[in-house]
Parts: sequence; structure tokens; C-alpha cells
Amino acid sequence: MNERAGQDRDLELLRQIAGGDRAAFAEFYERHATLMFSVASKILNDPGEAEDVLQEVFLQIWEQAARFDPQLGKASSWAAILVRNRAIDRIRASQRRTRLAEEAGVEQVVAIEVSETANGVIHGHEQAKLIQTAIGELPAEQRRAIELAYISGLTQDEISKKLNEPLGTIKARIRRGLLKLRDQLEGVL
Amino acid sequence: MIDERLEEQAALHVLGALTGAEAREFKQKLYADPELQAYVARLSIATDAIAGSVPAAEPSPQLRARILAQVAPPQKTVSLPERKFRPVFWLPWALAAGFGALCILLNVQDAQLRKTVGDQARQIADLNQLAQSLQSATNRLQQTVLALQETNRLVNLRIAMLTSLLADAPKAVAVSLWDNEKQTGVFVAQNLKPLPADRDYQLWVLDNGTTPVSAGVFPVNPDGSVRVDFKAGQRIQVAGKFAVTEEPKGGRPTPTLKNLVLAGG
Repeated sequence: MNERAGQDRDLELLRQIAGGDRAAFAEFYERHATLMFSVASKILNDPGEAEDVLQEVFLQIWEQAARFDPQLGKASSWAAILVRNRAIDRIRASQRRTRLAEEAGVEQVVAIEVSETANGVIHGHEQAKLIQTAIGELPAEQRRAIELAYISGLTQDEISKKLNEPLGTIKARIRRGLLKLRDQLEGVL
Repeated sequence: MIDERLEEQAALHVLGALTGAEAREFKQKLYADPELQAYVARLSIATDAIAGSVPAAEPSPQLRARILAQVAPPQKTVSLPERKFRPVFWLPWALAAGFGALCILLNVQDAQLRKTVGDQARQIADLNQLAQSLQSATNRLQQTVLALQETNRLVNLRIAMLTSLLADAPKAVAVSLWDNEKQTGVFVAQNLKPLPADRDYQLWVLDNGTTPVSAGVFPVNPDGSVRVDFKAGQRIQVAGKFAVTEEPKGGRPTPTLKNLVLAGG
């Protein structure tokens, strides 16, 4: 199934889920649980907690599928950001801001084998390689700022303090980094 | 038109790095602007790449079953056939089934409670952020009010320079500050000549520039300087001018014009 067809299928599934269709819900789970669980595991570094978060988010999707707005992005992006936000909330709630994921950082992400990434499992080796190459080619400081925001859940102010750089510099790095990634991966993802 | 600042906000938005008021403000813009929506949707390609670059991990098969069990539609009530007496060999099985159902029910309730707690924690965090932004707004308003009050106070403040009218003390000079709202003033002078013990300097406020109102007598330091806070003997409408006269000890109700020392306005 190509990317466009996958998005259309997700949209159809979410419409069916909004109507209470359990089979559609099960299919949506099959399609996205790996990515969502991978993100939760990376952030929380605890499989048990990651499963709790996944359970909460899937129940949220069951109840709020009708709220998904395809104008704002893909269903997979929406699901990933829901799980990311929920995992970050857990870390904030338990005051574990200094923990693991923050230290694990970018280096680990780019150091692992392409086939071992969630992209490798979901998109296959070749596509995952393109994605990983694009990420690897980002300037280190841009990649670090993006990772601290998305994976470690730091706010722009917190990133600025952590990296000891002006807020404007951090904003510019994040913007440039994301634009570069987008431009390189448009058509791939 | 999406400018660079909005692009930065969009980037922070897709990464979840906008906080409180900024996040709410951006979402409002997003919902109102189709061009921005398209921009954010395209930008999510980058966050998808980041999300998928983490090490792959698979949830346990039991999780899928647990989740699906929680979204099961309610069981329909089935009418049972008329009861007949039967041996109770099925009782342990019924108890086991009941226990199993209870476990599922408790599991569902546990997940629902967890979700509720999570939702409430997020709501509390949002409310805290809202409270902080309201507090900041209140502080800014208070500062604005103070600044306006200060500006208003300065509008009511009358500042007058008084110069010497004496040939033998040409360097005598003074400044009078008068707050018409508070009906108080500060008088500062330098190079006044010393007076005999039976004489005093007396300060006058010329209401509307014509009617002299006494603001009292004042002593002078040995170096000819003085700084006194003063009030007028009656309410001043408009402090048009100020003057200092030399008067008998204790002052007079009306000024001795031939003894004018300083005047100005």
C-alpha cells in the first residue's frame, strides 16, 4: 500500500471507529501500534509504562476519532503525537525531567541499525535508510534541538537553557532542521 | 502569508515545544488559516521521520487483547429459559466465570481511572499555565496603571525656576515643585544670603498668578542653601508663580513687595 493509499485507509478507519466499529479499531491498532509503542518506549524507557500509555491513547482514539482533522496532517502523525504527548505528561507528572531519554539523545538514534528503527519495521529497509540518512545529514546542533523537543519533551525555553544558547537561535535551528528534513523526505513519507 | 516567525512557531508546534499561551494562540491561528494548516501538515513529514527513527519496539500481544476488550460493545441481555431444578455441578464454573468477568470489569475500571487521572492532570497543568499567564497579564496591567498614574502625577506637577531680584545676591536661585493634586510642594534654593536673627525668608504661591498665598517661612543653612517641603495656607487653584520675600521673624499674612528676593514661574 503506497503512502497516499495508506493515508486514505487511515482516514476511512477513523471514520468507522467514530461510528463504533471495533474491527476498524483493531485494524488501526495493527497499523500503528508499533510506531506508537516505539515512541512511548523511547521516551519512557519502561515497557510497562509504555504499554499503559499506549492503552490510554488507543482508548482516547476510540472515543475521539471524530476529532481527527485530516487538514492538520496524517493520522499516523496524529497518533504518534498523541502518544508522545501522553508519555511526556507522564514524565512531567513524575518529575523525571532529567532522565534517560534526554541523555540517550540523538546519538543513539542515529547509531542503531536502520532495520532496527521503527521506520525500518514500518516502511522497510530502503525507505528507512533514506529517512535515517536525511536525519544523519542534519547539522548536529539542529538535530539535538529537535530531539530535545520531540523525544525529551523540553520546551523551547528549556532547550535554550540546556544548550546555553539564545532562544532565537534555538527557534531558528529547529525551524531550519525541520524544513530541511521535510524538503528531503517529501515524497518518501 | 507565512512569515519566518510563524514558521518557527509551526515548527515548535509540531514538536510539541510551544507552551501555554503560545500554544493556544498558535492553535487559534491554525484553525483560522488554511494556508497555515497545509504548512503544518507538510512539516509533520519531518516529525514523522523523527518519531520513526527511534528503536523499534513491539507491544505485547496481551496489550492488543486488553485494549480491544475495553472497547467491547455492552453485552446484550439474553432472556433465559424457565428455570428448572438442576444439579449444582455447574456452580464452580459459574463462579469462575463470574470471577473472570469481575477481573475484566476491574481492569476496565482501572484503565478508565488511569485515563481520568491523566486527563485531569493535563487539565490542571493547562489551568496552571492559564493562571500563570493571567498573573503575568495582571502584573503588566498593574505596571501600566502605575506608569499612567506617574504620568498623570507629572501632568499635575508644576515646576518653577525662581531667580534673584537682589543686586547684592545675584547668584541666588531656587526651584519650586508643586503637586496641585496633593497641594504640597518642595522648595530648593542656593546662594541665599544669611539674614539677621529677627528676619525670615517667606515663600509665596501666587494663585492664578496674582493672589499671593503664604507657604510659610523657612530657615537657611549657613552655606545659603535650603530644601523644604511646603504647603500653602489655603487651597491653590493654579500655582501660577512663586516668590520669596524677606519678612520680619515669623512672616506676614501678605508679602512686603519691596523686599522681594526671588520670583519666577
